[in-house]
Amino acid sequence: MADKNSCAALYHTHEQAEEAVRALQKTAFDVKKISIIGKGYHHEEHPIGFYDTGDRVKFWGVQGVFWDGVRGLLLGAATFWVPGLGPVVMAGPLVTSLVDALKGTVAVAGLSALGAALHSISIPKDSIIHYETALKSNHYLIIVHGDQKEAERAHGVLAASEPIDVVIHLS
Amino acid sequence: MSTQFSDRNSVIALLRHSPLFSSLANTVLLDMLSHFRRETWKHGRCITGSENEQRFHVILSGRLKMGRINPETGRIVTLFLLGPGDAFDVISLLDGEPSPVTLEAKDDLELLSTPVEEARRWIEYHPEFNHSFLPYLGRQMHLLADLAGDLALHDTETRLARLILRHIDTDNSHHSLHLIHDLSHEALGEMIGSVRVVVNRQLQHWQREGIIISHRGKLVVQELEALLKKAMHHSHNSAAKPSPEKPKNRH
Repeated sequence: MADKNSCAALYHTHEQAEEAVRALQKTAFDVKKISIIGKGYHHEEHPIGFYDTGDRVKFWGVQGVFWDGVRGLLLGAATFWVPGLGPVVMAGPLVTSLVDALKGTVAVAGLSALGAALHSISIPKDSIIHYETALKSNHYLIIVHGDQKEAERAHGVLAASEPIDVVIHLS
Repeated sequence: MSTQFSDRNSVIALLRHSPLFSSLANTVLLDMLSHFRRETWKHGRCITGSENEQRFHVILSGRLKMGRINPETGRIVTLFLLGPGDAFDVISLLDGEPSPVTLEAKDDLELLSTPVEEARRWIEYHPEFNHSFLPYLGRQMHLLADLAGDLALHDTETRLARLILRHIDTDNSHHSLHLIHDLSHEALGEMIGSVRVVVNRQLQHWQREGIIISHRGKLVVQELEALLKKAMHHSHNSAAKPSPEKPKNRH
């Protein structure tokens, strides 16, 4: 992934996160540069992705509609079991970074595979801990990758979409 | 635009350690946060004057080197080593002109930032900020004057001794250093207008004399009086005795 600057925003609910992605889309953001991460299940529901014969991922459960919608909007989608975090559903270019981290090609001492993936796009350790804690609490993380100008423009859009917080990460 | 902070209280707690913001009321700090955005800069991020956009930054955590570079020789002089609670660029905030300095993140940095024009409007709206801002500006000017004086009047040994004395942690009886404790010899050299080999040789000499110790890359002063003598050795006709400076903040 070439772009190591980003703007990251946390949301309480998947509805808010989806709304934020659509707001970015409306302002002509390149959807190929947007990643979204959330936990794969919440207590009573168990939606996990599967590969059907056409190599397509399908999600079900209460959040199935959300993740299927996100998959339609963003570049790629995947479900992982991340040690320490459990099932994580993710879409966008960060999937590639997480795959590298899980394969061990990106390893950072003291960080989980997801942490290593986030670290590889210049997110500092303190922020990674903050994001992992938020994800464990079933929040959603949106990351817009790009150059500094794109990260700053994304900040303008995301800050107006009622995030828990929004931060620009510059490499 | 209102910027979102999930950990508003911890940000305010960090600002409470800053000489710029410690005396401001909570309501003023909250208003400030509504005009600032949150940024992180990765360790090693380096931006030159031309890339340095017109924003006013406040450091929440980490260290930032502000320096000037000779593009022909590559030589660098560090003007300021800023830490938590410091702000930059205060000169651009005053005159509105872009500063020809080079900025380098010495750690992962966490910052607040706002456009310079926005910062000016905020200061106009909250003149009480000036009670902290003017002394802070004065202190920065003193540091620049110290640097200019040291470069013009003292030899390398004296400059290095004075640099270390300026960064002694007075709250700590072990004479440990703040901000510069783990800097490379090259970075220390850039702070006194010298180079790595000279700093390395001097520090080794002082280690043999028992004046300082270096443990796992961290400098600690062992003989404060002896270091004071080194700092005063060539200072008969120049600046005042460099006294250990109370750290602005610690987290």
